Amino acid sequence: MKRVSLLAALAFGATIALSASSSDTVFAKDKVKVGFVGPLTGGVSANGIGGRNSADLAVRLRNKDPKAKYEYELIVQDDECKPNIGVQAATKVAADKKVVAAATHYCSAVAIATVDTYHKFGLPVVVWGAVLPAITYGNDYKEVHRVNGTMINQNQTAAKFMRDLGYKTWAVIHDTTDYGKGHNKFFSENLKKNGGEILATFGVTADQQDFTAELTKIKELNPDVIYFGGLTPIGVRVRAQMDKLGVDSLFQGTSGIVSDAFIKGAGDLGEGIVAFREGAPTAKLPGGKFFLEKYGAEKYDNPPEAYGAFAFAAMNLILDTIEKEGPDRKKVRAALNGTKGRDSIVGEISFDDHGQNTVALITKYVIQDGKWTVWEDSEYASGKRKLARQK
Amino acid sequence: MNSGEKQTPATLWPALAGTALTIVYVILLLKVESQTEVIGLLVVGALAILATSWSGHLARAGQALTHHESILHLLVIFGALVIIGFFREDHFTLLLLTTVMLYVLATLGLNLQFGYAGVLNFAGASFFGIGGYTAAVLGAHTPVPDLLIILAGGVMAALIGSILLLPVLRTRGHYAAVVTIAFALLFKVFLEVNDILGGPQGLQVPGMEMFGWKFNNNIEIGALELSFYVNYLIVILLVLIAAFALVRRLERSWVGLNLDALRLDETAATCFGLNIVRWKVTAFLLGNFLIGIAGALSGMVIGFVAPTSFTFADSLILVSIVLLGGIGNVWGLVLATAIVVIIPEKLQAIQEYRFLLYAAMVMLMLLFRPEGLLPRPVRHYFPGWRPK
Amino acid sequence: MDIGFLAQYLMNGLMLGMIYALVAVGFTLFFGVLDVIKFSHGDVLTVGAFAGLATFLGLEAAGISHPAIQILIVVIVSIVLIAALGAVIARTIVLPIRSAPPLNTLLITLMLGTVLREAVRLFYPQGANPQPFPALLPTNSLTLGNFNLRLDNVIMLVAGVAVIVGTQLLLNRTKLGLAIRAVAQDEETARTMGVNFTLIVLITFALGSGLAAFAGLMNGLYYNEINFGMGLLLGAIGFSSAIVGGLGNIYGAILGGFLFAGLQTIGAVALPFASAYKDVFAFGVIIAIMAWRPTGLIQEKISERV
Repeated sequence: MKRVSLLAALAFGATIALSASSSDTVFAKDKVKVGFVGPLTGGVSANGIGGRNSADLAVRLRNKDPKAKYEYELIVQDDECKPNIGVQAATKVAADKKVVAAATHYCSAVAIATVDTYHKFGLPVVVWGAVLPAITYGNDYKEVHRVNGTMINQNQTAAKFMRDLGYKTWAVIHDTTDYGKGHNKFFSENLKKNGGEILATFGVTADQQDFTAELTKIKELNPDVIYFGGLTPIGVRVRAQMDKLGVDSLFQGTSGIVSDAFIKGAGDLGEGIVAFREGAPTAKLPGGKFFLEKYGAEKYDNPPEAYGAFAFAAMNLILDTIEKEGPDRKKVRAALNGTKGRDSIVGEISFDDHGQNTVALITKYVIQDGKWTVWEDSEYASGKRKLARQK
Repeated sequence: MNSGEKQTPATLWPALAGTALTIVYVILLLKVESQTEVIGLLVVGALAILATSWSGHLARAGQALTHHESILHLLVIFGALVIIGFFREDHFTLLLLTTVMLYVLATLGLNLQFGYAGVLNFAGASFFGIGGYTAAVLGAHTPVPDLLIILAGGVMAALIGSILLLPVLRTRGHYAAVVTIAFALLFKVFLEVNDILGGPQGLQVPGMEMFGWKFNNNIEIGALELSFYVNYLIVILLVLIAAFALVRRLERSWVGLNLDALRLDETAATCFGLNIVRWKVTAFLLGNFLIGIAGALSGMVIGFVAPTSFTFADSLILVSIVLLGGIGNVWGLVLATAIVVIIPEKLQAIQEYRFLLYAAMVMLMLLFRPEGLLPRPVRHYFPGWRPK
Repeated sequence: MDIGFLAQYLMNGLMLGMIYALVAVGFTLFFGVLDVIKFSHGDVLTVGAFAGLATFLGLEAAGISHPAIQILIVVIVSIVLIAALGAVIARTIVLPIRSAPPLNTLLITLMLGTVLREAVRLFYPQGANPQPFPALLPTNSLTLGNFNLRLDNVIMLVAGVAVIVGTQLLLNRTKLGLAIRAVAQDEETARTMGVNFTLIVLITFALGSGLAAFAGLMNGLYYNEINFGMGLLLGAIGFSSAIVGGLGNIYGAILGGFLFAGLQTIGAVALPFASAYKDVFAFGVIIAIMAWRPTGLIQEKISERV
C-alpha cells in the first residue's frame, strides 16, 4: 500500500511538473536516439547516403511536428558495405542503451552478419535495403524486420518475364558475396522452372576490374542474355567491356544496379538494360510525391536513390512505434512484430512471423533515354523499340 | 642522453604521477563524446607531451621507468585493469580496448619479424585472418577446447606461413616484400572465391567458453553487471602479458642478439658463424604464431570473420603501427596502436575524412620524427649495467 | 579453340599487359635512381586518370568538342600535371627522408597514396562512385570471324609501345638518359662527374609519374570507367611485375607486366577451376618465381657490395 501511494505521489508530482513546464512557451521534450546504419563510403555509397538522407528526413520532419512526444536524434554509422565493419557499427549502435531502434543496412552481406549482434543486444531494427531472404528467414530473431522485399520475388518475376519475351539462353555473372550468390541461386532455380538454359556461370570478386576474359568466354558461348547479379560498380564495368568485345547479348540486372549512379556510369550503353526491383518506383509510390517534395526541400547533396523511400518508411515506422509505445526497446520490438496494414509511403506494411514485409510487388525496369523507366510505360513494351536480340 | 650521467637512479615519483595522469587521460578520452571535447583533449595531450619533453620531465620519467622495469610492467597492467574496471558496462569502449590489445599482440609478432630479424612481412592481416578462420572452423565443427583453439590459430598461421619460407629466405629487401604482398593479395581473393570458408560472407565464430563459463554472457556479481567483453579482456590481457614477456625475454637473450646481428649485416653475421636461416625461420614462424593467436582471439571476440577484414590495406596498417611506434620498441607498439585505433574512432566528426587525416598525420610524423614515436633504446648488455 | 577467340584473348592480354608494364616501368625507374619503392605510384595513376577526366569535362564545357583535339589536350594536360606532381612528391617527401631506413620511404609513400586516394574520393564531385570515362578514340571495329578488333585498342597498343620505346631511347640515347643511368649506378661518382643529382632525381620522378598518368588514361579509355580505388591494385600488380622482372631493369618491368597479364588470362580461361581464382593463380606463380629466381627474371648485374 505504501508503495502504491508513493507511486501515486510521484505521478502526481510529475503531472504537476509536466503541466507546469508545458504551460511555458518552450516545452522541453525528452530526447530519444534512433540509429541508421548503411554504406556511406565505398563503391555503393551513393545508395547509403541516399538512405541516410531519407532517414534523416524522416527524423527532421518528426522533430518539426509539434505533436511529436519526443525529440529525436539520429545516430549514423557507416558499415562500408563490409561485414566486419558492419558488425562493429552494429555493436556501437546496439550497445548504446539510449538508442531505441534503428534502420539498418543496404548490403545483404552486412545485414546477414549483424543480425546476431542486434539479437544479442536486443535492439529492434528495420532493414531498409538488403534483399537476401536469410536476413529475416534465416533466423527466429524477433529484433529483425524488413520493409523491402527479398530477392526471391524479384527473381521469380525476372525469370518468367524474360522467358515470356522469348529469350532462351543465359550466361550468369555474379559477384561472390551473399548478394550475388543469392541472386544466382534464385534466378537459376526459377529459370529452370520456366525452361530457360544457363550456358555458364562466372563468380567474380566484388572489386574486380577486368572482365574481358570472362566476357570473351561468354562471347564464345553466345547466350541471348547476360544475367548480372551484383551491385552498380562492377555492373558498369561489365556493360562497358561487353561493348569493347562486341558482345551483343542483352544485359539483365538485379535491384543492385537500379540506381542513378549506374545510368551515369554506363552512359549511352545503358540504353535497353532491364532490371527488377521490389516495390514501385519512388514517384509512383502512394506517398512518393510527398517524399520527393520534402526531400527536395531539405536540399541534400545527393538523390535519395532507389532505396531512399524504404529508408524513409523504415525510419517513420520506427518513429511511429516509439511515439506509441515510448522509448523502450522491448515494447518497441513487440509492437514492430505486430505491425499489420500500416500505411507508409511505400504502400502498406505488414510483417509476417519473421518480420518480413509481405509486399510481393515487383517492378520491371528498362533504361530508356537515360532513365530507369517502368517497363509498362516504356517504348520497349509498346514495341516501338526493341531490346537487344529481341525476336 | 645527458641525464644518463647521474649516478643515483632517478626517483620514481614523476613516473608514478605520469602514469596516473595517463590513466586519467585515457579514461577521459574514451569517455567524452562531444567532438569539441575530443579535439580539446587531443590538443591538451599533444601539448602536455611537448611541454614535458621540453622541460625534461618526460625523459626523466621514462628513464626512471626503464631503470625499474618491473614497476613499469605492474603500472601498465594496473592501468589496463583500472581502465577496464572504469568502463565495465560500456560494451563499445571495451570492444575498442580489445581491438587495441589484439593489435598490440599482432604487432608484437610483426616486430619480432622485422624489428628484430629484419624479415619483411606485408601479409600480417592474412596471418591474422588464418588465426580467425581456424577459430571459426574448429569452434563450429569440433569439440576442441577453446584454449587449444587459440593455440591452434597460432600454429596454423605459422604452418601456412612456412609455405612462404623458401621464397622469403631466398629473397631480400624489396624482393622479399613482394613475396608477402603477393601472398596478402592472393589470400584475400582465395577467401572470397572459396565457398567452403564462407566466401566473401565469412564465417560465424562461436564465442569462447571455458570450464563451463560462457564468455558471451554478461557477468553478474550481486547487483553489479559487467559487460561480457570484460571476460575477453581478461583473457586477452593474460595472453598479451605472456606474449610480451616472451618477446622481451627473446630480445634480451642471445637469440635477440643473434637476430640483431643478422638484421644489421647478414654477411658479417654469417662470417661470425651465425646460422642465418635458422634465426630467420624462427623469427618468421614465431611472429606468425603470435599474429595467428591474436587473429583467433579477435575472431572469437567479434564473433565473425570475413575476407574484407584481412586485406592488403589492413596489413599495411599493421606495418604502419610498427613503424610509427619505432621499429623494435615494444612500448612504441602500444602507444602507436592506441593512436591508430582510438583516435579515428573518437573523431567521428571527421568520419569521412579520418583515413585522409590519419595518413597525413603519419606522413608528417615520418618527415619530422623518422625514428618513430618511441625509438628502440640502446641495448643494455649486462643486467644492471647502465650507460655511463 | 577457334583462332578468332584465341586472337581475342591475346588482344585482351596485350592491353592488360601494356597497362601493367607502364606502371612497372615507373617503379623500376624510381628504384633505379634512388633505391626506393614509391608505393603511391598506383594512386598517382588514379589522379592522372581523374585529371584527364576533369580536363575533358572542362573542354566540353568550353565547347571544344573535336575528339582529336580533346584527346590531345587531355593527354598533354594530364601527363604534364602528373609529371609535376611526381617531381613535387620527390622533392617534398621522398628526398627529405633519404637518410632514413628504406622502410620509412615505403611507409610514407604508402600514406601519400592513401592521401591521394582519399582526396579523390572526397574532393572530386561524387568521387566515391565510379566515373564514366569518355571514349575519345574512334571506336570503329573490324570483325574477323570471332575476333573483334577495335581501332581504339590498336591505337592504344601502338601508343603504349611508342611510349615505352621512347622511354628506352631517352634512357639509352640521350645525355639526360646517360645522367639518369649514371645516378642509378653510383650516386657519388655521378655527382663528382658534375651531374646535378637532385635535378636528375626530380626529372626521373616526373618521367615515371608521367608514364603512370599515361597508363591511367589508357585504363580509362580502355575500360571507359575509372574509380578512386583503381590505383591500389594496379600499383601492387605493377610493383610485383617490376620485382618479378628484376628491379632497375626496364626490360624486366615490361616482361613482368606482360607475364602477369598472361597469367591472369590463362588463369581465367585455360585452367579447369573457376575464373575467380585467376588472381590466386597469378600471385601464386609470382611467389613461386620469387623462390626460383630471388632477384627477378632478369637479374641485376651489380654484385652485392660488402
